[in-house]
This record gives sequence, structure tokens and C-alpha cells, in this order.
Amino acid sequence: MNRRQLIRAGFVGLGALILNGCRGKQFAKVVQPGDPQMVGSHGAGSETFKPLVDQAVGSLLARNAAPPPQVTPASTSGPEAIARPPLRICFVAVENKSAEEIGDFKDQIYQIIDTRIVESHVFEPINKRFVDAGLIETRLRPDQLFVPANMRTFVGVMEKQGQPFDYLLYATLTSGTTRENQNYQRDYLLTMEMINVRTGQYDKQSATLTKGYHQSRVGRLLN
Amino acid sequence: MSCRVCFIRLALCCSSLAGCATYDQRLSEVRGTFYAGDVDHAAQAINKDLKHPKHDADVLKLERAIVDLSAGRPKEAEQSLREVRDRFDYLEHKSLGESALSMITDENRKSYAGEDYEKILIRSFLALSNLMSGGADAGAYSLQITDKQQQIINAGIDKEGHNPKLVYKQVALGPYIHGLIREQTHANYDDVARASAMVVSWQPDFVYGQQDLQRAQAGRHSAPGNGVLYVFTLVGRGPHKVETLEIPSTVALLIADRILSNNGTYSLPPTIAPIKVPKVAVPNNNVSHVRVNVDRRLVGSTATITDVGRMAVEQYEAIYPRVIATAVVRRIVKKGIIYGTKEVVGAKRNSFLNVALDVAGVAWEATEAADTRSWGLLPDKIQVLRIELPAGQHQISLAAAGTFGVGREDTQNVTIADGRNTYMLANFPDSQLVGKVLTSQP
Repeated sequence: MNRRQLIRAGFVGLGALILNGCRGKQFAKVVQPGDPQMVGSHGAGSETFKPLVDQAVGSLLARNAAPPPQVTPASTSGPEAIARPPLRICFVAVENKSAEEIGDFKDQIYQIIDTRIVESHVFEPINKRFVDAGLIETRLRPDQLFVPANMRTFVGVMEKQGQPFDYLLYATLTSGTTRENQNYQRDYLLTMEMINVRTGQYDKQSATLTKGYHQSRVGRLLN
Repeated sequence: MSCRVCFIRLALCCSSLAGCATYDQRLSEVRGTFYAGDVDHAAQAINKDLKHPKHDADVLKLERAIVDLSAGRPKEAEQSLREVRDRFDYLEHKSLGESALSMITDENRKSYAGEDYEKILIRSFLALSNLMSGGADAGAYSLQITDKQQQIINAGIDKEGHNPKLVYKQVALGPYIHGLIREQTHANYDDVARASAMVVSWQPDFVYGQQDLQRAQAGRHSAPGNGVLYVFTLVGRGPHKVETLEIPSTVALLIADRILSNNGTYSLPPTIAPIKVPKVAVPNNNVSHVRVNVDRRLVGSTATITDVGRMAVEQYEAIYPRVIATAVVRRIVKKGIIYGTKEVVGAKRNSFLNVALDVAGVAWEATEAADTRSWGLLPDKIQVLRIELPAGQHQISLAAAGTFGVGREDTQNVTIADGRNTYMLANFPDSQLVGKVLTSQP
């Protein structure tokens, strides 16, 4: 092929490119249960939050799902099991104290926890809309509810709404970061705290998950 | 086939690719009527252009969104903005065909994928439009602002590992809107504190930033019986692209093609037509802030949460070397094609055909027009003022203030709900309001 032919071929190639060079398209697919899920490369995602919620809520419910107390009424001869009414719980908020933004995950974490509690029948949670209405009416921040006077005010407002409760429930997400040169490891901790509004006693359950973040695949193999 | 026929074909081909008036020139009528306060005529002019778009339908929709928003049609504005957001996302995928075509014509032949600042501002205006019409999606849009910024910066890295986009200033409007929505829940003050910290860090000169942060850390949304009014204002005339001549590159290219012409087998068309590139221009802003009166009492002035003009100029400066490089490469490609044609047809020096091809080459280069497509009705600044007010009806008056003194007051009745947010939006490109003041229902 001489130079002229080469140039002609170049012109033809340019024309073909103009006519046929098309744009790629974004696509999506439904991830089925059991399919590999995406793993957040720069922060926590569903791969982190789902197991944390499962573990923390599962343990909390298991510990409180005690058998009903045995009560012996005076008028009868033998013991009779009376079902304990489920404890009423006011799930106030999910608090993010980790080093990362969790963006749209926060409300989802709340909803997942709330749904798990409702489904368990161990507790009887108060609907979030009542909780929000109570906070708006009292203008109390969730962290101010620990002051005894504030707690009494809040309990009073909720009772006025016909929503008395036994426990306040908080979920807090925290993190701890360990660095090694360019790579780092982050420990995520989800803590569920349950406070008895009458006695002030509290119960606590945590779940932890550790994730490593690496600058490259080589970095991941070396660690 | 004679060489003259070849020349005529090439000349015809070049003339068919000739550039027309730039987008900036075509938009001048719309801009004129809009800034004169005639939003209906501005909308009609845009709709007329949209019937026969010249690769500029997307930017025209953005212009229409601003007109709709000013005319009190936030839902229509949101619809247009959503369409363009999705379209720009699609256009981020490169088309080799379009890129090749733009190399033998100009950038105007390419679908316009939006500048980085425009992509972020689309999401910002989506959030604002949505706040005015219920606010169900405003939280999602506000998160998209920050998310898109991060995506753009991460994608800016080149093959050598340099990232000119690292200098981009982050837009504080995203976390600001996220914070005000979360604060209204009365249960997510941790989110509010985070968002306020971002605002303070990204827009340190926002005068209300520190007090917002303190309220988020230890205060409350509002006292019992009170609600909050957020007054958003779009002030000043914002950035738009204008055509400029890149003289240093033109001179350098002329010297280079003269050297190559003297030493090569064939001559190259001389670089007579200057290289034209778009540049972001920001008109002088006469409006410094908007004074807000509640029930005939001055309660404060709006402060800048996002400096649109500055952001556009800074972001464009970061990528300007690439814009010039593309324009220079386009010239080299065109000269290469003329040179190749001379080789194929055997146009000898001093022959008629050689001269004719050089003339065609110069004419071809002269047909280039800078791609001035850009969102031309943006404001120079987005400002905001937060006011806590007792629940009930209030009379709110807005008046622009600046180099002209204080403009005419526009008054609107607003209902404040206990513990809730209410939003107002007004556009002051100059001393007078354009369109109407938008108010949300709490």
C-alpha cells in the first residue's frame, strides 16, 4: 500500500467512525438474593449496614424474648401461665457518630430496625409519626430526653397522644479507623440502647463489622 | 475526475459545515426579555427555539426551567431539570462518532453534555424547585448535589494521574438544604450538625454558617409555637459563555504551519482564521443582598450560600487548557486532511489546485465557531436567610439592595406552621424582581 492509498484509507476510516461511533449506555439489573452484592469502595454500604442491623437487633430481641412469668392466682389450685403484654418501646432515632456520611441509609436503617421489632412481637413499638409529633410538640432534641424532667415531659406528651411506653430505644452508629500507609481499616459498631423510663435502667446490644479499604488490588493482597 | 471537481466538492463540503450564530448570540433576545421582567415573552421565545433546536435543546430546557421557576411554575421547572439531568448523565458516555465529526467541524456539532458547574447546579435547582412544591424529593436532590460533585472530581484524573478538578470548590447549598430538611424532623440533629459543619467548611464566608452550626449542636429547630421561614433569593446575572479569540495559540500555529509549508512536499493552509474558544463571562452584579421585612419590620438580609459566578469561572479555568488543546488539535486535523487531499490528488506547489485547496482550508477553518452553549439565565449568587417566626400568617416584603440603593418592595403573605419550615424563592437579576415570589405550603 503506497502513501496515497494509506491516506485514502484514513479518510474512509474517519468517515466510518463519524457514521458508526455510537455512545455507550448506562444499564442496570436487579440483584437477586444470593447474587454477589456491591461493596462500597470508599465507605460503608448495604454490605456493612445489613449485617450490623441483623446482628444487633437479633441479639436484642433474643435476649428479651423471655418466657412469660408463671402466676398463681389465689382462687385456683395450680399455676397458670399469663402472657406478659409486650413492652411498649419508643424508638427515638438512629444517630450517626461515625466518620462517614451515611446519606440515604439513615432512614432506611431506622425503618429496617423498626420493622424487625414490629415483626418480632417481643416489643410493641410506637409508630414513628407519633414519636416525631411528640418531639415537635416538646421541642426536645433526642439527646435531651435523658434529663429526668425532659423525659417526664416527653412521656406525658406521648401519654396524652394515647401512646404510653416503657422504654426509649436509640441506635448509634460509630466507627474507629486504623491506618497503615495508604490503606486503612474501619471498625463499624452499631449500638442499640434501651432505657427504662421508670427506673432509668438500661440494656445495650452491639454489633461490629470491620472493613479494609485499599488503594489498589495489590494493596489488598499485601494486607 | 478532474482536480477542479475535487476542489468544488471540498469547498461545498466545507461551506455546508459552516458555523452559524453562536448560542450566546441566539440567547441574547431571551436574556433581554427575561431581565426586563417579561417572563411570558422569554418563555415563548425559548419554546419557539425548542421547536427547531440546533444541538441546544438541553440548554434551552435549562433556560426554560429558570423562566418557569421565576414565573411560579416549580413543577414544570423540576420536570425540565430532571430531563436534562438524566440526559447529561447519558451524554457523559463519549461518542467516538461525534468526537470525530467535531474534529472536522467544531464543538457545536457535539451533543452538549454540560459543564461541571451546570451539572451540580441542575441538582441544586431541582432541590429548590421541589422545596417550593411540597419538598418530597428535596432531600434526595440535596444528597445528589454532593454526590455528583464527588463523582465529577473523582472522574477528573487523567492518564498521568493529574486531576485539575481537585481545585473545584464544593457547593454548600447541598448540605444546607439537607440540613434544613433534617432539622425539620426534630430527631436528626446529628445530621444537621454534620451538614452545617460542611457548609461552614465549604462556604466560610456564609455569614449565618456559624450560628446554624451552633444551633445544630446545642439548639433546636424553633421555640414551641414557632416555625421557620427560609427565604432563598437568586441575585444578579450569572455566568454565560462568550466567544473569544485565542491569539497566542493562533500565532504559534501560524508559525508552525509556515515552517512545515516551507520544508514539506506540500504546503499547509495558513492559519489566518483565529482559533475561537468559549470563555465564561460573569456580568457585573449590582445586587449585593435582599432585605427582608416581616410585618413591615426589617428582620435581616439574605447572605450568599453559593457563588455561582465564581464557581463557574474557577471550574472553567481548571479545564481551560483542555479546551484550547482540543481547538488546536482540531486545526491540526483539518490541516492534515487538506495536506492528505493534496497528496491524493497530487496538487503541486504553485498549481491552481494547491492554491484552491489552501483557500478551501482557510475557509474551512474560518467556519469554526466557539461552542458557547451554556446555561445562560443562571443567577450570579444563590442567597438565603433563615427567620424563626410565630405560627400564623405574616406579611413578607423583599427588596433588592446594592449599588443602586434599595429597589422596589414586593410583598407576599406567608403561612408559618408550628415546628415546620416554609420556603420562599425570588429572583432579583437586577434591582427589580423578575416574575413572582414563590412560596411553599408548610
